[in-house]
Amino acid sequence: MTRSEWRDGERVRSVEIEPLGGGRYRVTVDGVAGEWAVERLPGDQLRLTSASSTTVAELTAAGARRFVRLGTMDFVVEREATGRRRGGRAHQGGLESPMPGVVTRVMVAAGETVARGQPLLALEAMKMEHVIRAPRDGRIKSIAARAGEMVNGGVPLVELDEPPA
Amino acid sequence: MFSKVLIANRGEIACRIARTLAAMGVRSVAVCSEADRGALHTRVADEVRVIGPAEARGSYLDIAAILRAARSSGAQAIHPGYGFLAEQAGFAAAVEDAGLAFIGPTPEQVRAMGDKRAARAIARDAGVPMVPGAEGHDPAELARLAERLGFPVLVKAALGGGGKGMRLVEEPAGLAEALESATRLAQSAFGDGAVYLEKRIVRPRHIEVQVAGDGQGQAVHLFERECSLQRRHQKVVEESPSPAVDAALRERLTTAAVSLARAARYRGVGTVEFLVAPGGEFYFLEMNTRLQVEHPVTEMVTGLDLVRWQLEIAATGRLPLAQAAIHSSGNAIEARVYAEDASRGFLPQAGTAVRVRWPEGPGVRCDAGIASGDGVPVHYDPILAKLIASGRTRAEALERLTEALDAAVVHGVVTNLPFLRALVRARAVVRAEFDTEWIEREFLAGFAAVASAPVPELALAAAALGELMGVPAALAPRAGARRSSVFATLGRWRHPGLA
Repeated sequence: MTRSEWRDGERVRSVEIEPLGGGRYRVTVDGVAGEWAVERLPGDQLRLTSASSTTVAELTAAGARRFVRLGTMDFVVEREATGRRRGGRAHQGGLESPMPGVVTRVMVAAGETVARGQPLLALEAMKMEHVIRAPRDGRIKSIAARAGEMVNGGVPLVELDEPPA
Repeated sequence: MFSKVLIANRGEIACRIARTLAAMGVRSVAVCSEADRGALHTRVADEVRVIGPAEARGSYLDIAAILRAARSSGAQAIHPGYGFLAEQAGFAAAVEDAGLAFIGPTPEQVRAMGDKRAARAIARDAGVPMVPGAEGHDPAELARLAERLGFPVLVKAALGGGGKGMRLVEEPAGLAEALESATRLAQSAFGDGAVYLEKRIVRPRHIEVQVAGDGQGQAVHLFERECSLQRRHQKVVEESPSPAVDAALRERLTTAAVSLARAARYRGVGTVEFLVAPGGEFYFLEMNTRLQVEHPVTEMVTGLDLVRWQLEIAATGRLPLAQAAIHSSGNAIEARVYAEDASRGFLPQAGTAVRVRWPEGPGVRCDAGIASGDGVPVHYDPILAKLIASGRTRAEALERLTEALDAAVVHGVVTNLPFLRALVRARAVVRAEFDTEWIEREFLAGFAAVASAPVPELALAAAALGELMGVPAALAPRAGARRSSVFATLGRWRHPGLA
């Protein structure tokens, strides 16, 4: 049996596959099982046939992401690295850049006490400004960005500690 | 006519301009940044010049670098497209000073219309109705003027356009912060922090008139476009004709737009934008002195090629057709495909568009800036393509657009296609009952709920089965030597004006 975990927005979904032979598989998604006959088609497509339906899925890989087209609907899931824990991306106190862009303003300094909702820094990308705010009360432990700096998406920018007692 | 034209732009609009140049037998010169080496717009052009680094400031916004490319390639004229330098008077002037033709209005016209305060004065003098507004020089004066206008008010950048840097202020308490933020954004985006105030019209439609002038006082219109479907003041879906405009209103709108173009002795193609109140009163918004993103809907209903018009006006100083010879028939609707994640606050996306398939079919046109394997850099506006559909009726055009959006595939970079597919199916869109605030007021929340729903089990099963079975195979290498077939990859693109 093969088990894999996939990130779907904020969720982590698990998929277990058990080959039954003859191109048939038992697939369990989030604990719900189904049986499928799976056939490989040209153009990175799979034909999935169950007792009640047939669907063609077109698959594209981009890094850890899989783009899955079912009929005329497109979905994106991301392969979780083995051993990565649930909720892995929601760092305890870290705040990540939501997109690649340029840091335009840093509004707080390390050691400063901040209130929930307070603007911490601003990021500009593709003509849009995005303000990163404190998700809770706390104290700035460190800031890993300077105004004018280019950052990638998903890079930790601010580390937030518990507020001083 | 020119024998060689440089296109000072990138992406879908550079590809679209190159197509008309090819059809007219004019050689095209593309320019690109280091980040755009090998991009589609460089493959469809006859020649390419790499002009600078990824950052637009050193490449697509670098006037000296573009003029060097024009000189070294022997181009006689420069087409600016939209965005970048298209509405910078200094660029238009530098092009003309270099002895080249600027395919657009005169530098003075770009400057006057680009300064929204000057534009308002020109429109007022031409008898075009204005949204009540106010200009002031410091925050205290603007605050007093805002009280007099009455809230809500909009804070707008004097040199802005397309809603960039615009702020809505509901109450006096929010004005100071909005002025500070709008001034800073205006300074960084347009190099000038000047702002002005405008009374906010509630639930308006955005309707614009396509005009063209010969630079000597003659001007014609090519009917209107309905652009009310907007998100954050950015147009998403546009159509022509407007379902909210009857013959009488059309007459008044087009007359006002043509008066403005005549009064300005406008040269080239341009767009006069209006806000239309629910009662049919309309107000001048701004004039865009360039080709609009949404120009294809006008081309589809008139059968005319607006880029060809731009070239002919620039080369001959004459309008290609008189007003009586310009007709509109049927309906056309466009949807803008952006690299942005509609399920996560429309965050811009970058990466490689591994698999791209654009739709084709009767009445369907696709103006695309990427094909399979192309990069989507972080540095530029995230527009990837425009899908446009026409039909004998609005219903037919909308149905074709819906099918085209369903058939379009962009995998590798997240796009707003799911958002567009839901949008064109919304009842208010089908019935044409919307205003510029409708998407945010009534559509987004429902869409967000659908977009954040769990991915279907079948999609996850397919992804995992694919991994087990080696599907997809390892990333396909970028196809090389595609120039000869590149027009095929752009999908069908035809209308009567481009025979």
